[in-house]
Amino acid sequence: MQKFLGLIILLAVAAATAFFMFGKDKVASFSSGSASTANLTLVTGKAGSEKINFLQSENVQRLLAKQGLRVDVRKSGSVEMVLETTSSGEDFLWPASQVNVEFFKKTGGSIQQSADVFNSPIVLYSWDIVTDALIKAGIVQHRDGVNYIIDLPKLLTLIMEKRQWKEINLPQLYGSMIIRTTDPSKSNSGSMFAALIANTLNGGEVVSTTSVSNVLPQVTDFYARLGYMEASSAVLFEKFLQQGVGAYPLIVGYENQLVEYSLMHKEHLDLLKSKVRVLYPVPTVWASHPLIALNEKGKKLLTALKSPEIQKLAWEEHGFRSGLLGVENDPSVLDVVGLPKTIDAVMPMPSAAVMKEITKQLSSL
Amino acid sequence: MKLFRLAALITVLAAFALSGCDQNQAPQQGKKTSSLPPANSTSLSIVSGSENSTLEPLLQQFARQQNISIQINYMGSVDIGLELAKGTASQFDAVWPASSLWLSLGDKQGVIKNAKSIMRSPVVFAVRKSIAQKLGWDKKDVTVMEILEAVEKEHLRFAMTSATQSNSGTSAFLAFLNAFAGGPEVLTAEHLHDPAAADKIKRFLRSVNRSSGSSGWLKDMLLKDYLYYDGMVNYEAMVIEFNRQLPPGQEPLYAVYPVDGISIADSPLGFIAKGDATKEAAFTKLQDYLLSPTIQDSIQAQGRRTGLISMDVDPAKSAALRPVFNPDWGIDVSRILTPIRLPAVPVVADALNLYQTAFRKPSLTAYVLDYSGSMAGKGVDQLRKAMRTLLDQRVAKEYMLQASPEDVTIVVPFNSSVVTSLEAKGNDPQVLGDLLAKIENLEPGGGTNMYVAAAEAVRKMQSYAESGQYHASVIVMSDGMSEGSMAQFNATIAGTGMGKDIPLFTILFGDAQPEQMKAFAEAMSGRMFDGRVDVVQAFREAKGYN
Repeated sequence: MQKFLGLIILLAVAAATAFFMFGKDKVASFSSGSASTANLTLVTGKAGSEKINFLQSENVQRLLAKQGLRVDVRKSGSVEMVLETTSSGEDFLWPASQVNVEFFKKTGGSIQQSADVFNSPIVLYSWDIVTDALIKAGIVQHRDGVNYIIDLPKLLTLIMEKRQWKEINLPQLYGSMIIRTTDPSKSNSGSMFAALIANTLNGGEVVSTTSVSNVLPQVTDFYARLGYMEASSAVLFEKFLQQGVGAYPLIVGYENQLVEYSLMHKEHLDLLKSKVRVLYPVPTVWASHPLIALNEKGKKLLTALKSPEIQKLAWEEHGFRSGLLGVENDPSVLDVVGLPKTIDAVMPMPSAAVMKEITKQLSSL
Repeated sequence: MKLFRLAALITVLAAFALSGCDQNQAPQQGKKTSSLPPANSTSLSIVSGSENSTLEPLLQQFARQQNISIQINYMGSVDIGLELAKGTASQFDAVWPASSLWLSLGDKQGVIKNAKSIMRSPVVFAVRKSIAQKLGWDKKDVTVMEILEAVEKEHLRFAMTSATQSNSGTSAFLAFLNAFAGGPEVLTAEHLHDPAAADKIKRFLRSVNRSSGSSGWLKDMLLKDYLYYDGMVNYEAMVIEFNRQLPPGQEPLYAVYPVDGISIADSPLGFIAKGDATKEAAFTKLQDYLLSPTIQDSIQAQGRRTGLISMDVDPAKSAALRPVFNPDWGIDVSRILTPIRLPAVPVVADALNLYQTAFRKPSLTAYVLDYSGSMAGKGVDQLRKAMRTLLDQRVAKEYMLQASPEDVTIVVPFNSSVVTSLEAKGNDPQVLGDLLAKIENLEPGGGTNMYVAAAEAVRKMQSYAESGQYHASVIVMSDGMSEGSMAQFNATIAGTGMGKDIPLFTILFGDAQPEQMKAFAEAMSGRMFDGRVDVVQAFREAKGYN
């Protein structure tokens, strides 16, 4: 009996040791009886909020498991994650744009490998009544089932002149015209839209280290009027949907967000189609979603994400256009209206040095 | 810069204490409720704003279905924020505050995963329907300035939670201030120091007849003393609950959505990630459950807005929901709500500091403190610590309870009779420090009669209270069965505003009798706080009511 007791204690100690050595996750996997997940390599990291649903979806996890990987991801703003100097042992960082990778290098981050994984354009989300008013005002054009912002300079001018919504025949909306974005000092979509504004105000030319100072005051004014800004595009998008046209008449987001939401909430598809609009700035800017692999595990994840089957799933279930050359993304496979087959008018982002200056200026708000 | 941000964060965190419990027995902060934990099962502990207490049965139903245990700790936003700031060292698995602002402010380490809004509710100004009709508010858009004019002209008697203690108060304060500053797109430091805006917000806040630390409790208090007040500032959901709880035939409150002063509470539920996959899976299930169509419908049936797309109600359901979102009460789900833009964090901190030290109606607070023999040792140590928290202005500021230059503080230590009777005016740290020193020098001894001491406090307050310029409150703390009687107390307070405009709060400590303490507070339009676990927190909470 004594011997048995000894054995039991020994086993208990071993179990406890395993618990602390491998972490609760692994033990939980063991205890849930799923031998397959226990054999997978756990890859941990941070990703922008727009990619969280993708990484956590069962189908993506299944495809990753086929390649021997399991991902534990934490949401973090793309700008925040690359500027943080303390690492908590991540295997990868997955911000939304190439500028974020440059920031990471400049802060002394060491990269094993990095490559673009997806492409998604920055878009504006809006509502039926607002879009109709913008069409009447000549700012938006409805062409081939897609809404294009053909006169972004005019929209920005109206906003900067603090015009009221009622001045573009929207008496239902209280207050002055505005586009709400995420915090550009934390989140990529807010930061990329700042770049788009800067380029637009610069006569449609990409701002340089010398020309940026001409437009920075106006960009700063624009953001100062937003007050408190969300740190993540997913939260902003959800608030936009839930609080409606009064609170969020126009917001900045990624193209994939509406696609993904529609597919995840099919029961609301009709309501979404009747009320929500996606507006494509002409030109817009690309978010290329580069993954930064910090070690071998991160590299494995990067390779897996670039596999054709995951790329296909990314488009068909989450609305991310492929980052692979020569791959076409056909919107007809998606039951979502208002997506163009290709995004033709794209403008380059300013250099990392210029973006750093813009971000720095907007951080002080 | 970083330090400044941190300081601002702390100030803001300290500034908000959550509000809103929706039951008659609203849970007290920090009070834990839980289901019986099944052996060897997963458990989830949630720190939540108290306005979610009405929904707890839904969560416990889920716990039973899943054979897991769920504990909910109700806390104010100050404490929720401080809890989040601990990061992975937090004792909780999930967080559910009144507004997502708290997550952004508190979660500096980025430990919150998958926060999602469970429901929404705008903050409204609700008045008796006959008053709304008389003012024509049922037929047109109403501005904040029109509300101020009506309050002053009609002498409307209304209640509102403290902007530094309750999320509904904070939201309304910021929204109204925005309007009084001329409706800028967003408030800046400049607006806060604009004398014209300051004058208007002061006039508005000083018209408030009754304050509270909790939105839910405020609603219950109004229901109990109905007809003594004309209205309240509160969540739309609380106005709906109020009207549904009214006895038949009573005049309902009518919700007014000030066009230039609206704010929306969004109630996000998020996971505190500490690397436990089992808990995370349970959390995700819980969140999915709360967001499932059936549960969303039952949350909606309780007066919260739950549509996934925009704030209105699905037309197919609007007929069935008419008794809840009732147009006869001014509830208007089709109205497009444009909330004010929340200012940047440092501006919020600045605004709340000004609220506490300059804008609000001054506080007239009497502390009636048990110095009987049984308090000797640990009891009196705890009491001294509580008084330090409130009177030492550096500490009080952390909890946004600092005094203003116009506040009046009265302290009546007692045993079988009144030991002494002390008073301090204003917020001079020296003056309040002297008062604190006198309290700290007292030694316990003798019996316990809180009634005679409370009566002495009321006598001392009377001349101040009669001016109508204060939010008055008596806070009675006792650690044992009290001699004397309520009848004795009642006989001495005739002709004072006691029990109406002057509420009395009790703090249960040591061996005090819960029945006796509760009855005393409730007879005097106040409530009891249980200080047996944490008396400092009980004092902090009670002080938050004026």
